[in-house]
Amino acid sequence: MKKILIVEDDIFLQGLEAGKLEKTGYEIISARNGTEALQKIHEPGVDLVLLDLILPDFDGFDILKKMRETKELEKIPVLVFSNLSEEKDVKRAKELGAVDFMVKSNFTLDELAMHIQAILK
Amino acid sequence: MNDTEKQDTGKNLQDALNAKSDLISVTAHQLRTSLTAAKWILQMLLDKDTGNINTEQEDYLRKLFASNERMIALVTDMLALNHADDPIAVTGKQQIDIEKLLTEILFEFSGETRKKNITLSIQKSSSGPFSVEGDTGMVRVVFESVIENAIKYSNADGAVLISIEAKEDSAVCVAVHNTGLSIAESDKPHIFEKFFRTQEAKDREDFGSGLGLFIAHSMLSQHQGSLSFESSPENGTTFFITLPRS
Repeated sequence: MKKILIVEDDIFLQGLEAGKLEKTGYEIISARNGTEALQKIHEPGVDLVLLDLILPDFDGFDILKKMRETKELEKIPVLVFSNLSEEKDVKRAKELGAVDFMVKSNFTLDELAMHIQAILK
Repeated sequence: MNDTEKQDTGKNLQDALNAKSDLISVTAHQLRTSLTAAKWILQMLLDKDTGNINTEQEDYLRKLFASNERMIALVTDMLALNHADDPIAVTGKQQIDIEKLLTEILFEFSGETRKKNITLSIQKSSSGPFSVEGDTGMVRVVFESVIENAIKYSNADGAVLISIEAKEDSAVCVAVHNTGLSIAESDKPHIFEKFFRTQEAKDREDFGSGLGLFIAHSMLSQHQGSLSFESSPENGTTFFITLPRS
């Protein structure tokens, strides 16, 4: 079973995302802030990180940056899932190695699950 | 007013515009978060994840879902208008590599194209570089609006082809072509009007604010560029975005 780390500070959205992805057949671990995310990313077997950008302590870009600087984490695909959509945010995420950038409000959870499936195929 | 006073006024205006822009960005983000939650819950109810619903309930939920989608589209357009209304941004021109910009935008739309299994590709009809001068944010919004429409109104398993061409030395023209929905002759004169949506567009997607092409058209005018289109049921629709070369 593939393992996904959901980094999302909104507990309600996090619950909905986790519920859908668990039903789809993924193992889910979750983090509600950057510090927690950087601890959990080191858990063995994380196959993908679903990353929100606005977090209470430090932002998703910092997490992306730290992952790319860490040899054992640099190859884990990161799918940015945020309600930010400005050019500078998309560009920065791409430069920092995100495999994709999805604006949450533009997708249903089924579409998110399909997208993740395509990335992990 | 002396030079110092003029500088102070200019700085105050810029500060006020920045504050307005920040407020709109933060508000849009918060609105989107709530609208996202509503969208996901409504979809779960419609998918009967939480149990059966009767036909009447389903009909109401579909209307609510469509209404929520309209709000999401409105927030997206509000963000674009926020940029368009900023007089400082218009004068803040940069060199823009159109090919590079389009490649970045395609990255943004990979989710949308995968959803409908649409092939999105770029081809160059002449040799580059395809460099123009303008406000990168605005030019980006123009391309995003036109490409988003092309994807939205393409049939599933279709294709959207983006061609870049240098017109002599004076302009760069980008053509965005899609098969699928075409624009009726009677609608053509109104396509760039504020809030206008064709009946076929409404039938296909019951959301959208009718602001996207209006904003794109206005932004291109501010860049001494142009937006035009050709559309027929046989050949599909092509939008032409022309920007003066730098």
